[in-house]
Amino acid sequence: MTDIASTRPTRPRPRIRTLGITLALVAFTVFAAREVSFSFSTFWEVWSNPLWEKFWPIPWEWVLDGDNVIRPLVETFQIAVVSTVIGCGLALPISFAMSPLTTPNRPTHLISRAVMNVVRAVPDLFWAKLLVTAIGIGAFAGSWALSVFSLAVMVKLFSETIDSADPGPLEAARAAGGRHTPVVRTGVLPTVLPAYVAYALYVFELNIRASVVLGLVGAGGIGRVLEAQRQFFKFDRILGILVLIFVIVWIVDQISVALRKRLV
Amino acid sequence: MTMTTATATGITPRPPLPPREARKRRWGIALVLILATLWSVSGLNITFDRLVGAPGDAWAVLRQMVPPAFAKVYERGVVGKIFESVYIAWIGTIIGAILSLPLAFLAAHNVAPGWVRTPVRQLFNAIRAVPELILAVIFIPITGLGAWAGTLAIGIHSIGTLGKWATESIESIDNGPIEAVQATGGQWVSGMRWAVIPQVMPTITSYWLFRFEINVRASAVLGMIGAGGVGSELVSHLVFRDFPAACAVLLMTITVVLTIDTVSAAVRRRIIRGSTGTGDEASRSTEALVDLTGLKR
Repeated sequence: MTDIASTRPTRPRPRIRTLGITLALVAFTVFAAREVSFSFSTFWEVWSNPLWEKFWPIPWEWVLDGDNVIRPLVETFQIAVVSTVIGCGLALPISFAMSPLTTPNRPTHLISRAVMNVVRAVPDLFWAKLLVTAIGIGAFAGSWALSVFSLAVMVKLFSETIDSADPGPLEAARAAGGRHTPVVRTGVLPTVLPAYVAYALYVFELNIRASVVLGLVGAGGIGRVLEAQRQFFKFDRILGILVLIFVIVWIVDQISVALRKRLV
Repeated sequence: MTMTTATATGITPRPPLPPREARKRRWGIALVLILATLWSVSGLNITFDRLVGAPGDAWAVLRQMVPPAFAKVYERGVVGKIFESVYIAWIGTIIGAILSLPLAFLAAHNVAPGWVRTPVRQLFNAIRAVPELILAVIFIPITGLGAWAGTLAIGIHSIGTLGKWATESIESIDNGPIEAVQATGGQWVSGMRWAVIPQVMPTITSYWLFRFEINVRASAVLGMIGAGGVGSELVSHLVFRDFPAACAVLLMTITVVLTIDTVSAAVRRRIIRGSTGTGDEASRSTEALVDLTGLKR
């Protein structure tokens, strides 16, 4: 590195493997794009579509009428609250069962982990559709579906926090001769609780968003109204509902962010 | 459980409150939570019959699901439908990635001026607030039923989260290289190309992959309203109460989703740590935290 002018490094040649991977990815992308009938023209044709006129003006008197939109919207909110409480409540003990730190019994944490991975692999609306079929149309099925889904998300986040918790207090309590449950409660729980509350708020945000679309598969809430209006091509009403949803999601997000800032 | 959640908030990193105050606050939070829950439950039209009957009904359906009718759904071409979901997720992610990357540069506070930043950030927020399914509801009458509507919906929705994550990783870079480019007389674009992109690309690529994992699930769901993919199969089996077939579809979807998750997670780890680096265990949960929640605000 003494003679700077002449020692400009040569550009490394790409490795065969890198080239191979790039080619494979490009080929896959091109193939996939054809499979989904990708077309660039949509991006400008979309704007000249006559359907857009149907989105305007928003019929506010219909949207703000109590029975049409507001009541289902409140139902949506209620579904989100119930399922967050149930999901996060159940997640607390299950997360402790999923971490090797607090569950030395290997089969227990391996099995609970595998089960939860499978639960999480099923998309939320699949759960909703399954439960609607099993226990009937309505918000009841919707709250069950979201409870299951938020449980799965919550244990994933929270058990990883427990995994990385400081084992010091746990060992100290154990060395002092504590039994397992009190040791975990006093040694680990206090260190991970702020994260727990932060995640619970995050799951609540997710649930608000998810509960909006539950109604599209018959699981109650505002989605039911969206589905009905969609079938009659009342896009102006849909846009009005979307604006309301946007406002609510935004308010919930702001509150949740403010609370989390104080916690973390 | 409500109680435990409530008492949780009492324990914060801030200096502890005097015992009585802390207890009062815990009870207050617990009370609010309990009231909110009760109010919510009351709005869901839950009768005692339904509450008691639900586990039985669910169990009855679960029992009819075994054995799964794999042969039947295979003949109906479910494998192709699942792959269609994967294609939708892949192309959707690419659309989102391509559109969100330049926008992210305009939203980051260390490289963009305020009058550009604020509108771009609000755009990300607005996009994030509209779920994919709603976007698909809007796109279906415009593009017609099928995979392309779903792809567009996923692509547009991905811009929101991908843009937000990319912005955050741009904001957390070391500003030294940017200054170096400026000192040599480089333009804004050169600064982005030679100082920012090399620093952020590994993280941003891993975010893209992570979004792809999420999009695979999302595109499976999109089929339920006719926007292409495996969802339509599940719905049609469930409508006809053909539970063994529905179970087979479900199991195949789970397998594909889990496989993609595993492979993608391994690739993400490889990207973040490099070929020789060995990341420490603590970074794993931080990664998950940042990945999933955007708590790093």
